[in-house]
Amino acid sequence: MSNKPTIEEYLKNIEERMFKAYRCVDCGSLMAIPSGSCYECGSNNIDWAEVSGKGKLISFTVIHVAPDEFAEETPYYVAIIELDEGPRVSARLLGFDPLKPEEVTLGIPVILDYEKGKSGKTYLAFKPA
Amino acid sequence: MPLKNTNIVSAAQTKFGALKGVTFREMFAEAVDKATTQAGVPKKEIQAAFIGSFIPEMLVHQGHTAPLLLDFAGLKGIPGTRHEAACASGATALRAAIMAIESGIYDTVLVAGVEKMTSSSTAKVTEALAAAADDQFESSIGLTFPGVFGIAAVAHMQRYGTTEEDMALVSVKAHKNASTNPLAQFQKEITLEKALTPRYVAWPLKLFDCSPISDGAAAVVLTSNEKAKKYTDLPVKITGTGQASASMDLCNRSDLTSFSSSVDASRIAYKMAGLEPKDMDFAIVHDCFTIAEIIASEDIGFFKPGEAAKAVRDGVTALDGDRPINPMGGLKAVGHPVGATGVKQVVVAYKELLGTAGPNQVPKHDTCIVHNFGGTGATCVVTVMRRSDV
Repeated sequence: MSNKPTIEEYLKNIEERMFKAYRCVDCGSLMAIPSGSCYECGSNNIDWAEVSGKGKLISFTVIHVAPDEFAEETPYYVAIIELDEGPRVSARLLGFDPLKPEEVTLGIPVILDYEKGKSGKTYLAFKPA
Repeated sequence: MPLKNTNIVSAAQTKFGALKGVTFREMFAEAVDKATTQAGVPKKEIQAAFIGSFIPEMLVHQGHTAPLLLDFAGLKGIPGTRHEAACASGATALRAAIMAIESGIYDTVLVAGVEKMTSSSTAKVTEALAAAADDQFESSIGLTFPGVFGIAAVAHMQRYGTTEEDMALVSVKAHKNASTNPLAQFQKEITLEKALTPRYVAWPLKLFDCSPISDGAAAVVLTSNEKAKKYTDLPVKITGTGQASASMDLCNRSDLTSFSSSVDASRIAYKMAGLEPKDMDFAIVHDCFTIAEIIASEDIGFFKPGEAAKAVRDGVTALDGDRPINPMGGLKAVGHPVGATGVKQVVVAYKELLGTAGPNQVPKHDTCIVHNFGGTGATCVVTVMRRSDV
């Protein structure tokens, strides 16, 4: 492969709001976070994959106590999202009041977004579709 | 085949808690002294040491801890290695020691665990604990250690109807058991109302769902059959050991209501011991959070998936219940000095199996299972033990 994905580029893509997943060239399986080898077949023949950005909410929490780096952002949601293409990813969840988590329903459709943290870092995020 | 040659002949812990003025190495030496000299095992007969410690580099700015600790504890010169698997550090050290005895390389070895946490700020400890999760793809978006179990709790609540009150009842039980354990960090019962105080750490987990930040150390001595009689008439046999890994990242797991490493490690340990969950008289499980005890008791086969919360409500897991869990108070109320925990669990199992747990004694105490898991559950070690006269 001439364009084997790297973690550095993966993180840069998120920073530039152009999220891409990994795809196993040999079996076609997708990975939403970088892996050195395919979870399904073990191949290390991996390429970038464009994804629709659509998914559903699997589970979540609201962080109230955080390390210094994130302390100013509390309370905030962290969620597990399953992409329509199959793989899951951990991301921030936007569009809900962090003090009313009981209003969030699991399984709802969500769509890719990004959040600029107070640290200046851009986080992968999803919001209700 | 069950393990044949591994015996526990002594086991001890320091008090757990905020041990002001007591350093990392002093706690270690205290636990070692209690488990050796004070228990009739001369230090000069210890041939090797296996030490669990999670992250002294960040918490007390100390690496290369094994020789340092051995030197201070009067065990200078013997081979020692520090084992790290986050909160399962202690049990991975135990497993290495079991393999060393079973292989015949050594007759008598020390297993110890230690962590000094309260000399760091809560933010620093939270950051250090977050290192047990994937720093690049999960910790980096602000997912904390309690957050990992918050996500598991939400999934378990959705699928099985587990409630915040069910989780609080685990905490009430832990504090009740610890109220008669003089080595526990919290020796006070709490009410259900108090356990439900809405001070959220990672919703739906509240302050009383979380194990505390603690200091402490624990140590046990393992010996071969031939040597065991020299130290005690009634050793405890380790008959099964299992270890398994799972994805570091929660997002790479298909089921968030169960930890596959716990299921896998416990099945391996049961099979090796030739026993089943129903043969266990009690369990020591890794209750770093209340939901972790609920899920662990399902994963090790004590209850069917989704039925542990009911067991807690019905008192089945209480000290005097049919399937006691964490009879001395667990991580929740005894404390969780990370690297010491997996060894302290063995100390508890040893006391209970021998019938020397005093007011915390479970009624049936022939055989038990000990479950220790690390970080996001990416490592799990399970041990099956029984009294040697059974």
